[in-house]
Amino acid sequence: MALIAIIDDDPDILDAGSIVLQSNGYTVITATNPKDGFNLVKANNPDLIILDVMMIEADDGFFLAQKFRREGFKTPILMYTSVSKTLGFQFGKSDIVPVDDFLEKPVTPEVLLEKVEKLLKEHTEVK
Amino acid sequence: MSEINYGAAKILLIDDEDHLRNGVKRILELEGYNVDTAENGTEGIRKGVNGDFDVILIDLKMPDIGGIEVLRELRLQKPYSICYIATAFASYETAVEATKLGAEGYILKPFTSDELIHDINKGIQKRHLILESERLRKEREESLLELAFERSRLKAIINSLADGVIVINKNEEVVYFNPAALRLLNIHTLILKEKIRGKVSAEISGLMNEVAEEKVDSEKPRSIQLEIKPRGELYVEVSCTPVAGFDSMISGMVLVLKDVTQFKQLEQVKSQFVSMVSHELKSPIAATLGFLDIILNPNLNISKEQEEDFLKRSANRLRTLLIMVNDLLDISRIELNSVKREVVRVELASSIKDCIDFLGNDAAQKNIQIKNGIEFDRYFILADKAEVERVFTNIISNGVKYNKAGGELNIAARIDGSYIRLDFADTGIGMQKEEKEKLFSEFFRAKNEFTRGINGTGLGLSIVKKTMAHYNGKILVESEYGHGTTFSLFFPVEEKI
Repeated sequence: MALIAIIDDDPDILDAGSIVLQSNGYTVITATNPKDGFNLVKANNPDLIILDVMMIEADDGFFLAQKFRREGFKTPILMYTSVSKTLGFQFGKSDIVPVDDFLEKPVTPEVLLEKVEKLLKEHTEVK
Repeated sequence: MSEINYGAAKILLIDDEDHLRNGVKRILELEGYNVDTAENGTEGIRKGVNGDFDVILIDLKMPDIGGIEVLRELRLQKPYSICYIATAFASYETAVEATKLGAEGYILKPFTSDELIHDINKGIQKRHLILESERLRKEREESLLELAFERSRLKAIINSLADGVIVINKNEEVVYFNPAALRLLNIHTLILKEKIRGKVSAEISGLMNEVAEEKVDSEKPRSIQLEIKPRGELYVEVSCTPVAGFDSMISGMVLVLKDVTQFKQLEQVKSQFVSMVSHELKSPIAATLGFLDIILNPNLNISKEQEEDFLKRSANRLRTLLIMVNDLLDISRIELNSVKREVVRVELASSIKDCIDFLGNDAAQKNIQIKNGIEFDRYFILADKAEVERVFTNIISNGVKYNKAGGELNIAARIDGSYIRLDFADTGIGMQKEEKEKLFSEFFRAKNEFTRGINGTGLGLSIVKKTMAHYNGKILVESEYGHGTTFSLFFPVEEKI
């Protein structure tokens, strides 16, 4: 089964997400800040990254996504945040926010699983 | 034009013949004229120049200076006096010369009193006309001067306006602009009679189109806001007002440009704050919903212990959320200055003791020693007790939360200049430089290896700072990362306590 990395500074959301994914057979690894998140991905090369936007800084998630792409990681990224509307960003596959899909928090287990499955499938097909 | 008062007219007779002079004088005085005489040319010139006569009658032949010379001199010095030449020896040449020099006419000797009075009255009429037109000319000159002054004053005013002004005619040619307009459009030049299109952006052109298509009688300005210089350096609001002509067609437009950069920046700060608030409010909701969705989902098998843990954590998040909402309301009250305060004499040592007792459980859990080193009954301030105790609780709570297990928090007071200074020194995890810089901004919470699991709203110190400012006090912070932080509160020493 696939390996999924969640990078989020909120331990409660991290744990809830982990439980949902683990219960469905995924292996989950987590980090609570961008630096640890990058090292985690580098060390474990997961199949999918779930990435929060506002961590220590309001735009940590954007910069981390850019860094992943810059460093050659083609891993699909599912970005999620509570403030997409007020930030006024156009999410999706762009150079500014190079992520594969986007979710607005709160995310129900059903929606999270559906998105994760879809992204993993797409990425496998591309491979 | 004023009525002519013939009787008040002043007449000067210049004649060397006594009987004629006196005879004419008598005739004219009988008619009510004001008559003066001169018995030769020299005296005539002197009197004529010094006095202000309406009509001057000059004898052509006089022993000292001839009438023509007298006429020349008087016309030169008194151009508005009406002069007649009186003579018995009129010749064509002297007549031409006299007329050239501006004599009104000839009075041939001998003359009847009727003829004389007729000519004199004609002269007075002429004089009146001349004076009247002269008065009008002067008046016009003065009002032109005034107008020119008014125009230059208006120009000076418009040129010194901070707002930019551009006036265009119906052919959309620039007919007026001020220097501010160039600055606010970020262009170097604008030439009068130059077409405005091409000099301004497409957005302003569009605005002008909208105004042109509208009914003019509304005369309402339309406006747009534009980013004139990139990266938010200059925002300008452009208002366009149509100017109605006689036929109620648009005869031109006035563009007013206003620098709204500061408003825009404020708007951005506000929208950033709103997005921060919504993030902070939504995060605990998302976390709680995340846990509840798991507990309620029959497909997700979790242990009883896990379920209890999730419920406890959910409750915690909701409590923090409630505190945050209350904190936000407090901040808004402080900023709107609508806090109701009951100012009393607060004794610091006992007040701080109460706060320490309130936080006793939290301190005991982490085995932290809080030492109240403030001398009792020595330091007093005037404040709302609940409000300042909230400040103390906040600082002490930070000293506990961000301390290491088994650490210390030492509280001391002393007079420092014109302040009572309270030091709260902990042996905790300290702060990094960047963390210290953001410490008092809303929603900031230090996030590092030590702070995991510490709850907070990120609003406490923001409220502390605002409260201290209200009491004319201040807060300072010293910190060494990994070793501890000292918060110092300064309250002004009250004279009358």
